[in-house]
Amino acid sequence: MMTSAVAIAVSAPVARRDRQRLIEKLAGCSFAFPAFLLLLLTNLVPLGVLIYLSFTNYELGALDTRFLGLDNFRKALTDPVLRRSLANTFVYVAIVLPGAVGLGLLIAVLLHRRKRMRTFYEVVYFLPVTSTLIAMATVWQFILHPNLGPVNGMLRAMGFCEIAFLSEPAYVLPTLAAIGIWQLVGFNMVLFLAGLSAIPRDLYEAAEIDGCRSGIDRFLTITWPLLGPTTMFVIITTSITAFKVFDTVAVMTRGGPMGSSEVLLYAIYLEGYQYFHMGYAAALTLIFLAFVLLFSILQTLVLERRVHY
Amino acid sequence: MDTTLTSPTQTARPVTPIGALARRTATLFVVHGILIVGAAFILLPFVWMLITSIKSPAEIFAVDFSLWPKHFNAVENYGFALQKVPLLRFAANGVIVCTGILLIQLLVAVPCAYALAKLRFPGRSALFALVLMGLCIPIQVPALPLYMGLAQVGLLNTYFAIMMPFFLSVFAIFLFRQFFKSYPDEIIHAARLDGMSEFEIVWLIVVPSAWPAIAAFSVFSIVAHWNDLYWPLIVISDTHLATPPLGMMFFADAETGSNYGALTAAATVLTAPLVIAFLIARRRFIEGITMTGIK
Amino acid sequence: MKGLSMLLSSFVLASTLATSSAEAQQVTLDVLYAFPAFAKFHEPIAQEFMKLHPDIKIAFRAPAPTYDDGHQTMMRQAVTNQLPDVYYSGFHLLSELTRTLAKRNQIIDLDPLLAADGKVFRAKNYSDRIVALGRVDGKLYGLPFNASSPIMYYNVELVKKAGGDPEKMPDNWDAVMALAAKIKAGSSDVAGLAYNVHDWPDVWLYHAMITQAGGTVVDGDRVPLGGPDIGVQTLQRFRRFVSEDGMPLIDWDQSRQQFIAGKIGIFFDTPARLRQVTDLIGDKFTLRTSIFPIDNKAKGGLPTGGNAAIITTQDPKKQKAAWEFLKFVTGPEAQKIVVETTGYLPTNLRATGPEFLGPFYDKNPNFRTVSLQIDRSVPWQGYPGGNSVRTWRAQREIITGIMRGEIEAKAGYDRLLKETADLMKSQ
Repeated sequence: MMTSAVAIAVSAPVARRDRQRLIEKLAGCSFAFPAFLLLLLTNLVPLGVLIYLSFTNYELGALDTRFLGLDNFRKALTDPVLRRSLANTFVYVAIVLPGAVGLGLLIAVLLHRRKRMRTFYEVVYFLPVTSTLIAMATVWQFILHPNLGPVNGMLRAMGFCEIAFLSEPAYVLPTLAAIGIWQLVGFNMVLFLAGLSAIPRDLYEAAEIDGCRSGIDRFLTITWPLLGPTTMFVIITTSITAFKVFDTVAVMTRGGPMGSSEVLLYAIYLEGYQYFHMGYAAALTLIFLAFVLLFSILQTLVLERRVHY
Repeated sequence: MDTTLTSPTQTARPVTPIGALARRTATLFVVHGILIVGAAFILLPFVWMLITSIKSPAEIFAVDFSLWPKHFNAVENYGFALQKVPLLRFAANGVIVCTGILLIQLLVAVPCAYALAKLRFPGRSALFALVLMGLCIPIQVPALPLYMGLAQVGLLNTYFAIMMPFFLSVFAIFLFRQFFKSYPDEIIHAARLDGMSEFEIVWLIVVPSAWPAIAAFSVFSIVAHWNDLYWPLIVISDTHLATPPLGMMFFADAETGSNYGALTAAATVLTAPLVIAFLIARRRFIEGITMTGIK
Repeated sequence: MKGLSMLLSSFVLASTLATSSAEAQQVTLDVLYAFPAFAKFHEPIAQEFMKLHPDIKIAFRAPAPTYDDGHQTMMRQAVTNQLPDVYYSGFHLLSELTRTLAKRNQIIDLDPLLAADGKVFRAKNYSDRIVALGRVDGKLYGLPFNASSPIMYYNVELVKKAGGDPEKMPDNWDAVMALAAKIKAGSSDVAGLAYNVHDWPDVWLYHAMITQAGGTVVDGDRVPLGGPDIGVQTLQRFRRFVSEDGMPLIDWDQSRQQFIAGKIGIFFDTPARLRQVTDLIGDKFTLRTSIFPIDNKAKGGLPTGGNAAIITTQDPKKQKAAWEFLKFVTGPEAQKIVVETTGYLPTNLRATGPEFLGPFYDKNPNFRTVSLQIDRSVPWQGYPGGNSVRTWRAQREIITGIMRGEIEAKAGYDRLLKETADLMKSQ
């Protein structure tokens, strides 16, 4: 009698737990289902098409295509243009990632506690995110003009020689990277502000009582650890965005001068849409995706371990 | 300036009122200094854009660069931009498209992000990896297959066609997942014990705490899709469905030369709604502060 | 009375017949063009056409940003069977496009239509050189609508300051370069000339320098690029533009902006920009244009850029309407509108006459210059093998290296030949 009562008493919470697990599983699957369906339609199926194309010599509008096996991939491994565009892309990312993340964080932290002028600064820093490249491209061309532009005017006033920012092979990538940072700082600032505003105020007050006075101290002991999730997100998305750089190259330098600003996606665009070698372009795109995905997964694994939730 | 404390229990140095004031002023100086220099770097292109939009053509590229135009051409430039091209119509299309996209994005992304953050279900890690992969895929990749698919079902040249590839925002899923993950589990358990369904938990409890993230994302989504040119160009062939960047293309001519005054005027007109959207959304950032600290 | 009622009833009958047949015959043509800013002449031309042909409606599709985008759109729509009825294809992409469409039976040959209108009509309106621009593989697939060959823009004040005569600008390259060197010597921050071959989106300016000297760029299956004499001399000239005449090696837009600001003496560019450049200069200085210098007066030619209208529809009624439309847009009234808003070369012989562009040219002599070169037009040839775009990108890198002084001209010429041949083989 007693044992069965105990047995019942013990089994009830177990049953409830199992039921809870089932509900979790059902809820999880149904919540994720619409997203998964769309993922399938808009990402996975086209990806499948891309994989198929990468094994052919398809050209847009052609009536007949041949199956090529792994030829496209073999060609890619020995293609100097591809290697150059990989190098260019890496340089670009190496400049933009720390610049955009660091500056975004700095501005967000500086603005977080201000009351006056905060709206003004937020709007100002966010403006580049709203700009369209069609109009901005001309503006940048003029501002950076070696002869007519204000930047070189300042350089000349300070006694330096003019720099053709967009036409000197050595300067073009850093210039594009600076423009990239300009475009992204406001974006990251907003994300960091959102992350900062999720940190409870009482934590700061508690720390103040414990003797933590200076701003830097506050930042290191409270803000930075609690910003972990946001920082991880910003780092991953900024690096992916930087890898995907295309618009500024396509509009402002078109890969020049002498291919020094030809980045991966632009090289792929040229193959597919200017030379019409869609099969080869598909293979290159897969290589690109593999790179970026690997990089992002690595980042996720490394950062997730450091982040406190 | 101030020595960093090595342990929280050590008593701080007594700070004099003058010292505190000096420290605060110096900090203010440095802070605003950095902010202003940064703001100048950010604003420089916009200043030039605005000024070009009110200048006459002959004054735009001059060596004796003056900020204020000698001949005020604002009326002509803005008038031309608004009349030559149905700019306001394009702006209206932008509103329709961006609103539609944002609504579906939130409806799809929020539950999925919650599931990834808080629920255990089969295939969770795989789904998250797929989400990450989705972030890496540039729009050029699915463009051609999607175009052919839409052509097959006869849905090209519609608002739906413009919106469809963006209904799923992996960016939103990733962002909300990060925010939801920091949401305290105890509250969710308590709510479950109270008998709330997972659905109610998501929308009534967790979402309000993530307002800053949702507001931030909404602004990004609206800005990105307002300014999107690549995909709309592929699926639209009727100009009355065109979105704002298409309108600007009428003034940016690589062949016979752009009308810089009208181009910058159009850009100013079309950027204004985005700034307004941002101003509205940022209130949420501030309101978000009062919602946290739930204990 | 009976007569009147009969008259009335026959009138009513006739008018109902007329309206119903007009309704039955109302044809809508879907038209696609590149460069949205071209709306400034496409729209008014379409309005005029529809007034003259009330039974034909012209509906423009959303314009493509550039010739290349338009080309891709056409390729996509060929696959999904949604081609527009009429498309304006850039000359340099015409052969690729028409060959693809011809294989799929999605384009028509215009020769029979042109022949049906008689030899007199053709002789009065179209020069042989212009018609030749639309020919691919012997068939007339496109009727040239916009045409342009490069011209010389110059700053009158800078030329005078250097001792030149603005009324009699030099017409051969050595003299032009000497004048440019003098312009450069006259001021510290002024460049003598600019010839932006290093940043041109296609081979136009490169080929122009070769063909004006009488050189051959493409010869059947071979690409001699002017041959060892003219070929190397061309490249040496490009380098001398930078080393002797002070040409700045910058983006073509930035270079144009510098000319507009009055900081370059002589500027070589497409006449399509004349309207824009004139407006942007304002009264900063006096702008004049002159013909492109030609070294070989007997054989020298200039590659012609622009676009030609093609008809893709296979519906006979639409084809007839489209042909009427093509004739109109390449007619003198329409070409007058084009020239006045851009600076293009009119593709109709009658358009330069006193009833059309005569008075405009008198008031704006700069616009007339390009029409003086019409007899020098040669077709703009793509490289055989269909890899033209990629080939130009490779060639441009070498040319830029030569202009920067990093590659010597003769070595550069050999490299150009080799890389071009390699790329042609790899197709």
